[in-house]
Amino acid sequence: MPRNLSDKEFLERLAACTEPAETGRAPSRLKSRIYSMLVQRQAETGPLQSLSKTKTAGHGLCVFEELVCIAPVGEAVRQLNPCRVCHARILAERFEDPPVFWPNCPYVSFKKS
Amino acid sequence: MTGIEQPLPQPPEAAGSTQQERDLVAALLNRDRKATAEFVSRYSDSVYAFVRSRVAPRFDLVDDLVQDVFLAAWEGIRQFQGSGPLQGWLLGIARHKVDDYYRGRLRVPEPTPEMELEVLAGGMMPDFDGALDHEQLETKTRRVMAALSEPYRLALIWRYWNKVPAREMAARLGKTEKAVERLLARARQQFRERWDDAQKSLG
Repeated sequence: MPRNLSDKEFLERLAACTEPAETGRAPSRLKSRIYSMLVQRQAETGPLQSLSKTKTAGHGLCVFEELVCIAPVGEAVRQLNPCRVCHARILAERFEDPPVFWPNCPYVSFKKS
Repeated sequence: MTGIEQPLPQPPEAAGSTQQERDLVAALLNRDRKATAEFVSRYSDSVYAFVRSRVAPRFDLVDDLVQDVFLAAWEGIRQFQGSGPLQGWLLGIARHKVDDYYRGRLRVPEPTPEMELEVLAGGMMPDFDGALDHEQLETKTRRVMAALSEPYRLALIWRYWNKVPAREMAARLGKTEKAVERLLARARQQFRERWDDAQKSLG
């Protein structure tokens, strides 16, 4: 790089050969908070997709979702968000490696992703 | 943070979205919670990395900005037309959010006295890559940037790394182009001083 550059040229050339480092993975607790926020927003503007339909579509349900699915309740209940009252959500939103392990829980999957 | 103020960006038409992405968007619109989890898992790392790089060293702001990006994405998901990758569309929203942050901070009056552009324009910079390899150059750049006062740091990143023309910055800030040029000139001068200081401290 030649010497005696003006400030403007220097910054232009420096920016061209450096990039702000786009590194780092999102913390799992941030992913958990984003997921909770999105599902809450979705539920505020209409019913969530029923857990029965979700299961039929081939998605695995967590143990608590399965319970809601097999319980003798109406379809409207299966459109609610059981995660709102689940301790897994509370732990996952606060801890980077929360002690939740059961399969098909989104908060567990954020630990791995 | 408020919602985005401009229309949501559409990605370039050259590279379209995949069927998988369009299926994911359709599932999101059906309020499928598993698709929502997949959406967060798949894209949060890239959005996080982008935002983090643009607001460094204010890492305390990253989480809120990333959440804002995803909230705006959900609110505008119907505008996603699939003409480009979903990740590009999300990063476009992230860019707007970061711009909003820059704009908010740069509207604060500057403490530094005004200096004449003509005086600053003639400043000379040292050779910056003579003894530095690429990694050292990036490290030094990050350190010098972190040492700048916030308005100067944001103005330089916005202009030179995000490549937003001064005229556009002025329009978004509600300032004249000349005022933005003056801000940039002062920012460049402070950058040069910090760069020289770092050079001296290295011996």
